[in-house]
Amino acid sequence: MISNLELPTFKFEPVNLSVNDYKSGVPPVWCPGCGDYGVLASFYKAISELQIPREQLAIVSGIGCSGRFPAFVEAYGLHGTHGRALPLATGVKMARPELTVVAAGGDGDAFSIGMGHVPHAIRRNVDITYIVMDNEIYGLTKGQPSPTSPMGMEKKASPYGTVEQPLNPLMLAITCGATWVGRGFSSKPKELVELIKQAITHKGFSFLQIMSPCVTFFDTYEHFKNRTRPLPAEHDPRDRMSALKYALEDQTVYLGLYYQEERLTYDQGYAAKRQTLPNYGVRQIMDKYRR
Amino acid sequence: MREFMDGAEAIVRGAFAAGCNFFAGYPITPATPILLRMLRELPKVNGVGIQGEDEIASIGMCIGAAMTGAKVLTATSGPGMSLYSENIGLAIMGEVPLVIVDVMRQGPATGGATTAAQGDIQFLRWITSGGFPMIVLCPSSLADCFKLTQVAFNLAERFRAPVILATDKEMVGAQQSVDTDTFEKIEIVNRTLAPADAEFVPYQIKKLADTPAFAPIGGPHLTRFTTSMHDERGLLTKKPSNVNKTSRHLAQKLEAHLAELEFAQLDAQPGAQTLIVAYGVTARAMIEAARNARAAGKRVSTLVVQALFPVPEKILCAALTGVARVIVPELNLGQYRLDVERLALALDVRPEVLGVNRVDGELIAPAEIEELIK
Ligand SMILES: Cc1ncc(C[n+]2csc(CCOP(=O)(O)OP(=O)(O)O)c2C)c(N)n1
Ligand code: SF4
Ligand SMILES: [Mg+2]
Repeated sequence: MISNLELPTFKFEPVNLSVNDYKSGVPPVWCPGCGDYGVLASFYKAISELQIPREQLAIVSGIGCSGRFPAFVEAYGLHGTHGRALPLATGVKMARPELTVVAAGGDGDAFSIGMGHVPHAIRRNVDITYIVMDNEIYGLTKGQPSPTSPMGMEKKASPYGTVEQPLNPLMLAITCGATWVGRGFSSKPKELVELIKQAITHKGFSFLQIMSPCVTFFDTYEHFKNRTRPLPAEHDPRDRMSALKYALEDQTVYLGLYYQEERLTYDQGYAAKRQTLPNYGVRQIMDKYRR
Repeated sequence: MREFMDGAEAIVRGAFAAGCNFFAGYPITPATPILLRMLRELPKVNGVGIQGEDEIASIGMCIGAAMTGAKVLTATSGPGMSLYSENIGLAIMGEVPLVIVDVMRQGPATGGATTAAQGDIQFLRWITSGGFPMIVLCPSSLADCFKLTQVAFNLAERFRAPVILATDKEMVGAQQSVDTDTFEKIEIVNRTLAPADAEFVPYQIKKLADTPAFAPIGGPHLTRFTTSMHDERGLLTKKPSNVNKTSRHLAQKLEAHLAELEFAQLDAQPGAQTLIVAYGVTARAMIEAARNARAAGKRVSTLVVQALFPVPEKILCAALTGVARVIVPELNLGQYRLDVERLALALDVRPEVLGVNRVDGELIAPAEIEELIK
């Protein structure tokens, strides 16, 4: 294990953890029927199947209905500012690479206010799992269009219908060079649990888009019901062009692992460079560091 | 030992002396020299240095790292401070130890990148929404750059709060010959850690003015931090009694300990009717002006303010008492003078308060101050 900083490390006894052991006891405040309940349930199941020690798991979020995520999980939690989950998570991971770091949030958090950080977390290949609960709307602020809202959506903030084309998050992640890209649906828990497990297990930046309808402001359950389908068996997740082909498909919402490759992670790369340097003490920096 | 160096180097040495092990920042004149040195030296001491994709990311990374127990530094200039603003609020709300260097440059927005100024100071005092006090230190010599950087880290740790070191382009960028034996290494203070074996509640305090014990992410407690208004457990709350408690605590943890936050150097001359109050690069012109005036047989006292905010009111009031005239030279339109005037108004015998102000990018010359010494 590489510890980037000389921070005290702690040893924890391994215990057998059930799904309930990962529940913080704080009841979620989401509207009844919100897709995020499904995401949370699948998340509990995935981490319990992986038996990730709670003292090994940090959950970082921004602001939004989905941003409440860390409060509900028995793990380290950092509930940050709107759109800034990825920088915060990067700081946590680089300081304590031994932790499993999960960033969670909404489509507004990820693709609107926080969009400036997404390509950079991807190109650095920071070893974190990014779970985007995509409801194609701003839930918390009561239903304004988001960057993934379909064109023509009529809401109070778009009284004449939106004229912007929605972003394609999967295309974005694949073309920026993400080393793990997948899509799940909050109402397909079996598949979702598998995807979350794979995303967390992957070494590098895992980008998991989860369609998670907002029953209150943009109920898309009907829309997704007949449109979701697993990625076909012939799709090879190492084939980027094939991944892009299925990501571009707009009549069918394909679910599963789109793309995966192995690449040096940010903390590994940094540690490797550091290995090549003379290791000073602070005293030596003070004395030696002169032009 | 005599060395030739700039303020950036003295600040970086101060940061290392204080135990800094994490830096993230985005290049901007005139703060870049700090970034370059931190990125070069940190990996050699097992630390981490990152060039973020922008200032918002950089301060976000710093906050994430600080919550794992790292001692973090970032450095920028005015435009970057504007972008830091929201996450400085996160650091206040989440009670995150964090040191920020603002190397001031001239004007709003992009302003004058290579031009000296002290125009940020009242902005730094209220840099984020909500109206909570900030600690703002200001060095006026290389020895101060070294020492106050350590003080900034100590205060950040002691109070679990962001601390700003406000400096300027001249202080950071100009090379000077200095005797490094005058560099004072002070005792390092680290945040109080929550005991590993006792039950832990993230924001529990006995008195409002207390600073809660810290438990790092990755440490013995499953701790929770949040930027939202929260209760003791770090959970979002709207309950008026909780909101009131957290709000008052965030102010009182500093305001109840002002004595620990007052830093200034008074050079009083008995019988002097004139007092000059200055900070940063302008304090150097003040010291020169006073020397010349004294050589010419005039009496004058000087006060170098090293902690701008919270305003060191005790020291300032004592210095203001008994003088007829106060001169406040600044590279802005009179921002610190506002506070000096406020304090002067409360005195029984009110001194006259005069400003010497430049906003043309040039430094104030000692002669401009000397003129006003009677
Ligand atoms: C800087 C800033 N701007 C705006 C807001 C208001 N705001 C909070 S959440 C949000 C959007 C939420 O949408 P999304 O990220 O999709 O999350 P959801 O609620 O849908 O899960 C906005 C605009 C804020 N908190 N901070
Ligand atoms: S507003 Fe929408 S996203 Fe937010 S909790 Fe309710 S259903 Fe979920
Ligand atoms: Mg949303």
